[in-house]
Amino acid sequence: MISRPISSRLRRLLNTREMRKLRRDKGALCALLVIGCYLLIALAVMSNLISRQDCTQVIGSNGMPGFFLEESRERRFENARTSMLKPVLRALGHPDPKAALADVKLGRWRVAEKSLDELQQITDDAVALRLILNESENLDEEPQFEARLVEFERKTADLIKPLSGWDNFMQNAALLLGTDAQGRSIFFRGVYSIKVAIQIGVVTAIVSVLIGAVLGAAAGYWGGWVDSLIVWLYTTFSSIPNLVLLVVIAYAFTDSDAKDTLLPVYIAFCSTFWIGTCRVIRGETLKLKEQEYIQAAQTAGFGSWRILFRHVLPNTSHLMLINFSLLLIGAIKSEVILSFLGLGVKSQPSWGVMIRDAGNNGDVMTGFFWQIGTATAFMFVLVLAFNILSDALQDAFDPKHL
Amino acid sequence: MWVYIIRRVLYNIPVFLAIVLLVMVLLRNQDPVPGLLGKNATQQEYDSKRHELGLDRSLLVQYGALLTEIVTFNFDREMWTQSGMTVGEQLRSAIPTSLALTLPALALTTLISICIGMLSAFARGRWLDKTLVFFAVLGMSISFLVYIIFGQYFGSYQLGRLLGRPIFAIHGYEMGWQNWAYYLLLPVLISVIVAMGYDTRFYRAVMVEETQKDYITTARAKGASDRKIMFVHMLRNAMIPIITRIMITLPFLVTGSILLETFFGIPGMGNVLLTAILNNDFPVVEVFAAIFAGMFIVSIILTDVLYALFDPRVRLQ
Repeated sequence: MISRPISSRLRRLLNTREMRKLRRDKGALCALLVIGCYLLIALAVMSNLISRQDCTQVIGSNGMPGFFLEESRERRFENARTSMLKPVLRALGHPDPKAALADVKLGRWRVAEKSLDELQQITDDAVALRLILNESENLDEEPQFEARLVEFERKTADLIKPLSGWDNFMQNAALLLGTDAQGRSIFFRGVYSIKVAIQIGVVTAIVSVLIGAVLGAAAGYWGGWVDSLIVWLYTTFSSIPNLVLLVVIAYAFTDSDAKDTLLPVYIAFCSTFWIGTCRVIRGETLKLKEQEYIQAAQTAGFGSWRILFRHVLPNTSHLMLINFSLLLIGAIKSEVILSFLGLGVKSQPSWGVMIRDAGNNGDVMTGFFWQIGTATAFMFVLVLAFNILSDALQDAFDPKHL
Repeated sequence: MWVYIIRRVLYNIPVFLAIVLLVMVLLRNQDPVPGLLGKNATQQEYDSKRHELGLDRSLLVQYGALLTEIVTFNFDREMWTQSGMTVGEQLRSAIPTSLALTLPALALTTLISICIGMLSAFARGRWLDKTLVFFAVLGMSISFLVYIIFGQYFGSYQLGRLLGRPIFAIHGYEMGWQNWAYYLLLPVLISVIVAMGYDTRFYRAVMVEETQKDYITTARAKGASDRKIMFVHMLRNAMIPIITRIMITLPFLVTGSILLETFFGIPGMGNVLLTAILNNDFPVVEVFAAIFAGMFIVSIILTDVLYALFDPRVRLQ
């Protein structure tokens, strides 16, 4: 075989009929662009741009709405009361106030660099205002309420050391989509989940496609008892309801050392996801086996392993690609369900965890849609992009597929 | 044909045995006894409980006992987590509940999806088709959970507030078909919406495949109307993939829907199964897995037989 330089091979690959068809598909290109952006964000998260700590620390009061929306007076009062004032008051009451104040933080916010007396003065004023505000019964009719509330908010804001540059940007970004019921940044949690989703999707899709492809090609190529065994194996696995199998496998790990990692999720997904790929590739291999070039390779005396890996499997790569894309969607969507059941991602945020929290905390019932909305929107765009891409891949490479 | 059926049944016996074994082994990664007795029990109590449940026997003996139970249809073992209730009773109450949810959902989904799929296939390439396909993809890209959460919020909570009386229950279930709409209609509608994206696309693909066949051209040439081509010629020929799809889905109906049932508090099979798995109630899970596997295998064989009945070209061998 004459070996060509890689660049010319790549050009040939991009110029095949299927690739040209794919390149003409505007929707597919947009989808690829979106997926590229998600991948970049995932890489950025992996390089610690948003750390796990950013997602788990308290950055403000609970259940703040996003886009810095104006809230009701009760909520504004509540927010100002709980955000910086409370920890500072607690720190000032500490035997060693200096050290305690140094520990106070709210996201990237720290206590303002003022002397203890100044801080004491501000908090005293704020507490006095708080008492007056607390006593106001009908908030809307009290004429001076608004002015007092603004004053109170200004006082509590005075306790915060102003941020500049990157820290300021990150703090504002953290508050962009509001906070969840524990005062954590919804935006950061949503963005961090991109990494989790892509990680789960890519790992499970690659592993499942590889297992499925190798087993499927082996079954189709060798036939006989190998075929019977593999068909028996996938019939067995597909005769258990998918979700039940996922739950049982994920649950089997709840007492093991791996329970806080993603390993149970990977294993649960891979053990159910390989089936579809295996079935498809087996069918394709049965077809390929009858083709002349395979028979030529056999006549040339190549070993069956070599034929399998060099001639059969590469010619099923388009099916692998399609299946990869489909399984990735499956993994991302199943992760949400597993996490909702408490068996999926633990110890880090994910869209499933966010949706579960929104459901469990009664966010939705109280009309607070920021958390579930963020998770859904982030997930929707990614899954939609992959859905469009899978369709385009299917149209280009496997148009006869049903 | 009978030879074929018998051979297929024999061929699937190892599959059945493997499923039962697989489920048993997977379940036994967890020790149910501490959960059943609490953490304060003594080792002796643990051991006697283990003996009582038969967990001290070797895996093969337990496997044999379970198989005997299944083969003789003797499901009178008591549930581990609910004393006084046998596995059979639990399944007998949970499976019909699930069916009341999943059967109407399947029927509705299939009907609507076939209609939309046909419409879409017939308008292939035109804006109607493009819009329908686009919406199907949009619908498929949203998580099941989000549909449920918002369906519950708007469908039961807000609608109930708007009208002053609850139309759909938020949570809970009562037997009886007069209560059906109150408790189950909303879950059914949600599951129809969720499944429609996939089904529409599938049936559209089936119909598109059919429109490209020669017999359609022939029918056109002889002057048959569009409506006749669509409903008489195409639908009949598309019956095989449609029947296959429905047949394959049928056994899954008894599993109910874990998510819908937990959200709406419906005591169906999905709910029972999830509770049983999370509380290590092995008998329920094992027996149900065996029943399901049996139904699944039967439905696959039945599909092939139906093929042969519907399409004289298919030979069973």
